Amino acid sequence: MADGNSNHGNSNQADLPCSSPVDLSVTLGRLQLKNPVLVASGTFGYAREMESLVDLSRLGGILPKTITAEPRAGNAPWRTVETASGMLNAIGLDNDGIEAFLANHLPYLASLDSSLIVSIAGRTQQEFVSLLAQLSEQEAIDGVELNISCPNVSGGVDFGTDPALCERLVTVCRQACCLPIIAKLTPNVTSIPQMAKAAEAGGCDVISLINTCQGMAIDWRRRRPLLGNVMGGLSGPAIKPIALRAVYQAAQATRTPIIGIGGIATLDDVMEFFVAGASAVQLGTVNFYNPAGSMTILDGLPAALAEAGASRVADVVGTLETR
Amino acid sequence: MLANGKIRLTVAYLVKPNFPMTNFSTHNPLAAAHYADAARQYAVTVQENVPLARDTYRLRLHCPDLACQILPGQFLMVRLAGSDDPMLGRPFALYDTVLGPTGRPVGIDVVYLVIGKMTGRLAQCEPGSRLTLWGPLGNGFSTEPVEHLVMVAGGIGQTPFLALGRQFTGQRVYGQRRRSESPAARVTLCYGVRSESYLAGVSEFQQAGIEVRISSDDGSVGRHGLVTEVLEEVLAEPPAATQSSSPPPTLRAIACCGPEPMLQSVARMAHQHQVPCQVSLETPMACGIGICFSCVVRVVQPDGSWDYKRTCVDGPVFDAEKIAWE
Ligand SMILES: Cc1cc2nc3c(=O)[nH]c(=O)nc-3n(C[C@H](O)[C@H](O)[C@H](O)COP(=O)(O)OP(=O)(O)OC[C@H]3O[C@@H](n4cnc5c(N)ncnc54)[C@H](O)[C@@H]3O)c2cc1C
Ligand SMILES: Cc1cc2nc3c(=O)[nH]c(=O)nc-3n(C[C@H](O)[C@H](O)[C@H](O)COP(=O)(O)O)c2cc1C
Ligand code: FES
Repeated sequence: MADGNSNHGNSNQADLPCSSPVDLSVTLGRLQLKNPVLVASGTFGYAREMESLVDLSRLGGILPKTITAEPRAGNAPWRTVETASGMLNAIGLDNDGIEAFLANHLPYLASLDSSLIVSIAGRTQQEFVSLLAQLSEQEAIDGVELNISCPNVSGGVDFGTDPALCERLVTVCRQACCLPIIAKLTPNVTSIPQMAKAAEAGGCDVISLINTCQGMAIDWRRRRPLLGNVMGGLSGPAIKPIALRAVYQAAQATRTPIIGIGGIATLDDVMEFFVAGASAVQLGTVNFYNPAGSMTILDGLPAALAEAGASRVADVVGTLETR
Repeated sequence: MLANGKIRLTVAYLVKPNFPMTNFSTHNPLAAAHYADAARQYAVTVQENVPLARDTYRLRLHCPDLACQILPGQFLMVRLAGSDDPMLGRPFALYDTVLGPTGRPVGIDVVYLVIGKMTGRLAQCEPGSRLTLWGPLGNGFSTEPVEHLVMVAGGIGQTPFLALGRQFTGQRVYGQRRRSESPAARVTLCYGVRSESYLAGVSEFQQAGIEVRISSDDGSVGRHGLVTEVLEEVLAEPPAATQSSSPPPTLRAIACCGPEPMLQSVARMAHQHQVPCQVSLETPMACGIGICFSCVVRVVQPDGSWDYKRTCVDGPVFDAEKIAWE
């Protein structure tokens, strides 16, 4: 390293690109990303909306809004409510279905110089499999994320809470397509380690977590729920401690690479997730209230890694010392 | 081919087609493109924050870039810099641009009513306070020429209409446009308030050449009653006292902003009178840029069914006939 402070681990200087002292690229199973900062599904639209606010080509990966086999209108408003340091949402997987996605959104996403990971949800195993069949044909797609954790849709959620169903689904999906597979887990379970092990046993390349935490908001004067769907998912800084805990537990329980999600808003947050055991992160709610936040994080990441004595991300991943 | 093996497509076809600006009534002829194509995030300084009426303030922000682009009916998202409480930004319409010594826009005015957390915090902002904002957002009102533009405002729904009125009286130019060749012969604001103390900016509207017709719920100012009653009167009058030499094909059009029941009544009246009507919706928003899908409204589809559309990118201005009112 140019500044000569690379005495950490056995980092191989020959691996480093000569222009940058810190290598931001990460390898998650079969998934290779140019950097570990991704944007989370459902919090970045179909990316084109962000074109003028963010240099999309700098992102390590883009996850467009979850797609389903058939178009879904989504839930009735109100769909979001701000809560202390966070927000509740019950969007209800509003999307135009896979056909419309392939026709209207994929060409643009494919034109971007950033990895594309498509998030899918199905009510049945068969639905997941047929979605994968359609996606496998698309060269532009670098990976898929199985959204088995959306709290706003009945039917699909069992895959995320029942370990046996989860393992079976991942196994079948793995057989159905050759793309790298990310299993996105919900925090709304008794045992994160059990679910993470199930996803790993099914053969996923990566585990991402967490999706939103189930919650509610009430107007007591009108005795009405604030969300049209009554219950929704909590996201934002409020859930960061829950997410850190979940990432830590999953990292302890498995050897599968992990993408940390939940309340990440600053560079410090990102570094905390690395130390807890995440090899990459997804930014969610922060995109809503600080649209250029991903760029600020990317700007500071090399220096933060260098400060930690790391020459690549892997050097800090899972380095938490608990005693 | 790009380094990652993907083919870069030309962007030409990706740009959503601009609606032909032909007929005021059959389209919602978007003034801007669908998405937040020109939006940028800015750190700005509060220059002024002055009371205009009861619980109503005018915030003046220094932001030349944004001021040069933003159009009447477009909005911006505002957040307190360095504070995560409230966490989400809040949408506010362009009230007007502020011109610098050379006549170029250097700032923007936002007028807001204190109703909750963010607006309460904003009311306490001193000059010099820092805000984060992103914009310009949304489509904005149609610029289709019209003989008589009738703007209908309920309460704080008046905020988009100073700029729109000025554009149509030919007093000011917004965005990268050229000055309108054919200003409207008449611009009227029907302005309904709860009570006189909430009346804001009337002299500014009048100075802009806008005829102001007021109603109040309690009769303390203007007509005692609903703004729709004022609108009914206006629609019964001829569009303009003296018709322009070559009047545009659209003699009268309505632009409306306010609480939803009012929008719905105005839409119904416009339909009865066969007057084209645009409504600007104030749906609660979390991002303002189209990425969260929380700001949806039911929009009529070509096949007659409805689908949820995002107010922030497909609106906030819609053809009233296209809204499937609840
Ligand atoms: C395009 C657009 C332009 C606007 N322009 C202006 C403007 O120029 N001037 C202006 O004063 N206002 C404008 N508004 C409205 C403005 O955004 C709100 O008044 C503002 O967000 C209030 O923020 P707050 O934190 O003060 O209130 P909050 O504390 O957020 O809430 C105030 C009230 O809103 C209700 N509320 C909260 N969350 C929701 C939800 N999810 N759905 C429905 N209701 C909810 C609450 O019950 C409460 O009564 C505009 C809105 C839009 C969409
Ligand atoms: C409005 C909204 C919509 C979301 N939609 C999806 C979705 O379609 N698919 C999905 O896998 N996760 C979805 N999520 C969850 C996020 O991807 C993320 O897991 C969660 O919000 C936690 O991260 P955060 O706190 O950084 O937002 C959504 C979250 C929000 C706030
Ligand atoms: S406010 Fe987020 S999509 Fe409209």
